[in-house]
Amino acid sequence: MQDEKIKNDVKGIFFEVFPKLSENEFAWGKEQKDYENWDSFAQLNIITFAESKFDVSFSLDESIEIKSANDLLECINSHLK
Amino acid sequence: MNIIDLLRNNAEKYPAKIGFIDEENEITFQKMLKSVEKFSSSELLKNKNQTIGLILENSIEGIMAYLGIINSGKIVHIIPPNITEKNFINQIKSSKPSVIICSEKNQTNFSNFNHKDVPIYTNEEIISKSTIQEKIPDINKIAYLIYTSGTTSEPKGVPISHEMIEFTTKNIVKILGYSKNDIDLTPLPLYHSFGLGCLHTSIYVGSTFVLLKNTNNLENILNSLKKFNATTLAAVPATLTKLLRFENQYLKEKFSNIRLVITNSTSIPKNTVNDLKTILENRKLATYYGLTEASRSTFMIFNENSKLDESVGKPAPGVKIKIKKIDKKLEIGEIFVQGKNVIKNYWDNSIADKNLEDGWLQTSDIGYFDNDENLFLVGRNDDVINIGGEKVIPSEIEEIIKQIPEIEDVVAFGIDNKFFGKTIKVNIIKKKNSNLEKIKILSYCLKNLEKFKIPSKIEFVDKIPKNEYGKVKRSILK
Repeated sequence: MQDEKIKNDVKGIFFEVFPKLSENEFAWGKEQKDYENWDSFAQLNIITFAESKFDVSFSLDESIEIKSANDLLECINSHLK
Repeated sequence: MNIIDLLRNNAEKYPAKIGFIDEENEITFQKMLKSVEKFSSSELLKNKNQTIGLILENSIEGIMAYLGIINSGKIVHIIPPNITEKNFINQIKSSKPSVIICSEKNQTNFSNFNHKDVPIYTNEEIISKSTIQEKIPDINKIAYLIYTSGTTSEPKGVPISHEMIEFTTKNIVKILGYSKNDIDLTPLPLYHSFGLGCLHTSIYVGSTFVLLKNTNNLENILNSLKKFNATTLAAVPATLTKLLRFENQYLKEKFSNIRLVITNSTSIPKNTVNDLKTILENRKLATYYGLTEASRSTFMIFNENSKLDESVGKPAPGVKIKIKKIDKKLEIGEIFVQGKNVIKNYWDNSIADKNLEDGWLQTSDIGYFDNDENLFLVGRNDDVINIGGEKVIPSEIEEIIKQIPEIEDVVAFGIDNKFFGKTIKVNIIKKKNSNLEKIKILSYCLKNLEKFKIPSKIEFVDKIPKNEYGKVKRSILK
């Protein structure tokens, strides 16, 4: 249940940061290069939202490595466990 | 015409009129002129140095010493009584006064400071050495020297000439309609150019200048309006905002004689303008934009058009203002001022002089003009946050976040970031009992700001550091 909530929250972050993203276009494995607007500022926004939502703080290396919703989910889980 | 000529005119035209009141004492124009002449003839002021230091307090003695030094042909180096020892040493190292003059109380306070062998005399000691003057010395072109604190560098000396004072004061009188019939209540420190400008204005028209010693005692300010039958009030926005906490009807009664309230441009909140307009009804509420280096560059008289409530108005007659864009994409830019109100150079400071080119003063203030040439201020150039080449004005972020009802106050500023150079952090004071979450603030920002303007850090705080004028002390934020 908890995992499901985290997943929903991570997905929610992507819909917040990419407001034009439709449900069909979202995929956990979809990579940064496949998003139209995932530039460096969007990356910063994703990190900021995730840090605020889950009350965690990502290192610089972690921030760079996040290239998909899956990466973000894994990174958050590693902090919460 | 210099300020001493104007005092002399008043003494001739209205010898018995009370020209100056400081709560405890009052003095006629004629007596003030005689005191000034006696002061300026003191042996202790006769020496080769151009400047005399004056620790300027809000009192008739302070005014007399200020005018007395000018009348002696010297330049007044104005020293705030609350100056730190470090700034005091820096300033006197730069201004090189022959003597420093102050009240008896301050003589004790300042004797503990390292004053570099410059003697400190009281007003009384100066007067006790007065002589019969055989030749009246010529008035120096520079009236006073005042130091502004740079955010990063040493204090900069700003020499203000009589020509600048005359130009500025004429504009003030013309635009705000001062006359000899006015009684000008001034709860402002004289060691700032706003307070001094008010003194010059009163002397210029021959009105009565009422100086309050305690500039923060709100009840005293309100009672003084009635006690002295004041017709004008000059106060900083923070004072006006605090005064508005009193009951509306009470304020209307206290302000019943007032024809003009003048304030300066330091972050006057929109609500303060609106509430004051209600209190004053059809009487004038005005503000101006200026720097010590370029006094009263614009004037704004607020009217029914609330769209202009946050403007500082149009350039004063004879003053030119241009905006130099800081970014091609932004309509705003840095404000430059040119006119007779602008200094020609700083005091012995070639680095600071780089801010002056062909008579244009680079102000470091950021703003824009609307289509009718009304100037709006949005911040300081130093405050601009450069995020990977994108420039962001903190006030834009603050305005958006303030729209969230549960937020009491907010400040945005830059923090170091390895990728972008800087990103935005916001410190927020939440309203009492609010459970507002950071994520909600971010969502609101994302809906209302471009993505490079979204804060990367949010901190809930109890206090936002501000100076006595309500300006946020951004340099100490982390």
